[in-house]
Amino acid sequence: MTVTAVLRGWRAARVTPLGELHTPPRMTAALLRLTVQVVLVASLWQGLYAATGTTAGLSEDQAVTYAVLAVLAIRIRELDQYAGRDTVLQHMHFGTIVYWYLRPLPPQRYYAFRALGEQLYGLVWVIAGYAICLAAGVVDPPKSAAVAGVFAVSAFLGQWVLYYVMLAIDQLCFWTLRNGAAMLILIFAQNLLSGVYAPLWFFPDWFITLSGFLPFQATLSVPLSLYVGRIELSDAGPQLAVQAAWVVALALLTRLLWRRAARRVISQGG
Amino acid sequence: MSGSIEVRGLSRTFHTTVRRPGFGGALRSLVNPERVAKDAVSDITFDVSPGELLALLGPNGAGKSTTIKMLTGILTPTSGEARVAGVVPYEERERNARNIGAVFGQRTQLWWDLPVRESFSILRDIYDVPEAEHRVRLREFDELLDLSSFWDTRVRHLSLGQRVRSDLAAALLHDPPVVFLDEPTIGMDVVVKEQVREFLRYQVEERGRTVLLTTHDMTEVERLAERVVLINHGRLVLDGTLDEIRRKFGSTWQVRVTLSDPHAPVEPLPGIALVRREGPQAVFGPDGPTAPTMHQALKQVIERYEVTDIALDEADLEDVMRAAYVQAGGE
Amino acid sequence: MSARTLRVVWRITKLNFRAQLEYRSEFLMMIAIGAVWQVSVIVFATVLLTRFTGMGGWDSSDVLLIPATRMLAHGLFVLFLGRVHGIGRQIQEGMIDTYLVRPMPVYRQVQLSFFPTNAIGDLTVAAGLMAGALARSDLDWTPTRITYLIVCVLGGMLLEAALFTVVACASLRFPAADYWGRWLEELLGTFGSYPLNVLPKAVGGFLTFGLPLAFVAYFPAAVLTGHDSGVPYWLAAVSPLLGAAAYLGSRLLWRWSLRHYTGVNG
Repeated sequence: MTVTAVLRGWRAARVTPLGELHTPPRMTAALLRLTVQVVLVASLWQGLYAATGTTAGLSEDQAVTYAVLAVLAIRIRELDQYAGRDTVLQHMHFGTIVYWYLRPLPPQRYYAFRALGEQLYGLVWVIAGYAICLAAGVVDPPKSAAVAGVFAVSAFLGQWVLYYVMLAIDQLCFWTLRNGAAMLILIFAQNLLSGVYAPLWFFPDWFITLSGFLPFQATLSVPLSLYVGRIELSDAGPQLAVQAAWVVALALLTRLLWRRAARRVISQGG
Repeated sequence: MSGSIEVRGLSRTFHTTVRRPGFGGALRSLVNPERVAKDAVSDITFDVSPGELLALLGPNGAGKSTTIKMLTGILTPTSGEARVAGVVPYEERERNARNIGAVFGQRTQLWWDLPVRESFSILRDIYDVPEAEHRVRLREFDELLDLSSFWDTRVRHLSLGQRVRSDLAAALLHDPPVVFLDEPTIGMDVVVKEQVREFLRYQVEERGRTVLLTTHDMTEVERLAERVVLINHGRLVLDGTLDEIRRKFGSTWQVRVTLSDPHAPVEPLPGIALVRREGPQAVFGPDGPTAPTMHQALKQVIERYEVTDIALDEADLEDVMRAAYVQAGGE
Repeated sequence: MSARTLRVVWRITKLNFRAQLEYRSEFLMMIAIGAVWQVSVIVFATVLLTRFTGMGGWDSSDVLLIPATRMLAHGLFVLFLGRVHGIGRQIQEGMIDTYLVRPMPVYRQVQLSFFPTNAIGDLTVAAGLMAGALARSDLDWTPTRITYLIVCVLGGMLLEAALFTVVACASLRFPAADYWGRWLEELLGTFGSYPLNVLPKAVGGFLTFGLPLAFVAYFPAAVLTGHDSGVPYWLAAVSPLLGAAAYLGSRLLWRWSLRHYTGVNG
């Protein structure tokens, strides 16, 4: 990358954090929401476990740690993107998508920069939240340095897969103009199948098998399971390989979709 | 920089799904959609020279926006060819992007959540504009558009006039030789409109930019454009100066004179008809396609007759365009 | 509502439904995605609730009544009153100004702005879940119980509508309030389906008196199955009445907010 390319990337990447910094109430709201959500989720799982011992291979501590980390993790892309009016859906709605195709920066690269900035900004929140939860004893630390290391790799791959999943959902907007409701459902599916609402381990076998064929579990369920030790270190290799495979497969798919989206914009004029 | 635009036989056909009426019809369209072809633009040819401002006129749905989209590289033509500053826009979209600036009416390209100046910085990096150059240009635009009074405000809080001014500046920050403006002043108040026109005039005359503009505001056309291209139903109706348009469609000028001799005989002149004669009062109007312009007619009438008083009624451009749209539509 | 109003509402709803059909690929996709969503929700609710048997002293046959009631109420809310959720976009686009100059109450126009295709999916899931819950239930379903359940579902719908209407009122002044609406939806979805006595007292109290989602399904189910819910029996029993009262209150707030509406961006 040349210097100007880095500069461009930096400019596009900082749009989201900058927008947030210009709107302090939004940050306060996010802080409040995150705090309340962590307290609620932690107490819910503690409550659920009150009458049960270890279930589905997860102890109470593991389940609470998993659930709280999941709440923190979705903060990474759980931004108020709509407020910035820079989603594909909104650009299609307002007819401003044409500007993406009028610049010497390819739309796919612009999108990637924006997402990267968003994810890095979210990461700051997550790390701060994690530190506080760790200090307060809500979550357990990883069992060993090796677990922490493998978790870091897996979480990184997971974010990469998540980026492509969100991108694919956004790309759908090029074909279905008004898919706001469909987006909500897809995001719900992403949350459910990635194990945000409840660890996938609680679900029946056929459901776990089914989600094994989908990319969603690679985003969150795998790294968090590694963290709490539900997936042993000795089994980590294949899981990381599956995550990496999803990165490659989705990279190819979204590339194809970008090309078709461009063709669609160019044949219909946005 | 050579900002010429060449358009040769440009055509664009759209395929749309016909909506059948009624509830059953909607269901049937869902299962078995019926597609029809519509020519949005057909066989349009014109040129714009470097440093020229051309107004692309036509009623709503005439194909103006489609034409602009093809010239900006967003839309690929079905047939024909276009070159903008030497580049075929729809084949080399990114190269073309560096040569052009564009504003599409009220659609903003600015970042909604950020102060205007941040949007400018992002665009500076996207277009690789050197910082020093960027600063100079921003100062220049500020003088003309008075941007600094609001450029620290976030876009969502700008008034329409402020936003369009910011968008104009944003489109020209990378110093493009060619500028496309699709109804830039729509919905703006007279003061801001004048400011924008002043800015455009400056960009054309002082900076030598080529501007292609669509508008429905005839005052704007009169103030800005020497040449216009008129299209209707996707076809080119006329390519010429405003005077030529007036001559072709503006059949409504009148020259009213009071003759010094109330009994003098009055006859029609070449291309000029005698509309009315009442005592010393005579009214002349254009006659046929070879009619002279109002000013030429005036000269001829004064040379031929002795008059004590004279009054002119010129059809304003709005009337001319109305006539042009109706006639061209009926062809 | 007069017969004429009802006719107008019905006609507009029919047109809205047809408008949904116009977007062919989206409509078909909605149906396909709806199927995925239905399966997921049922799996989620049943699996989790059966895995933690004896949760808060409720056995699994009773506990299913909570998500079933909540989802049915939610489905009806989406169908009849759901457009108050996400109203921020309509406000941002200046639609309220358009509504204000039309001779129909603004609230009704908001509700008639589009047809919620997804409500079909929501209601199908909810009905399935309710049927399952009733089939497993050991309770004696007397007419009184059935009537009470129906009334509670309606009360839950009104309560949810009231909460979202309050957020909509805030949206009239602060467009960013939509954010709170999305959080509200998340909270209702996550915590509306459990017996709240599994939570610590303070948290349960917050979800009862702070954000009153306990009244949507938890209290009605507790009354039906005879569980102690931690509040006086009479308070739990009047849940549907509270829902109706909250809705009326929120409509008054809406009227007040609309009078103080100042428009967007001059």
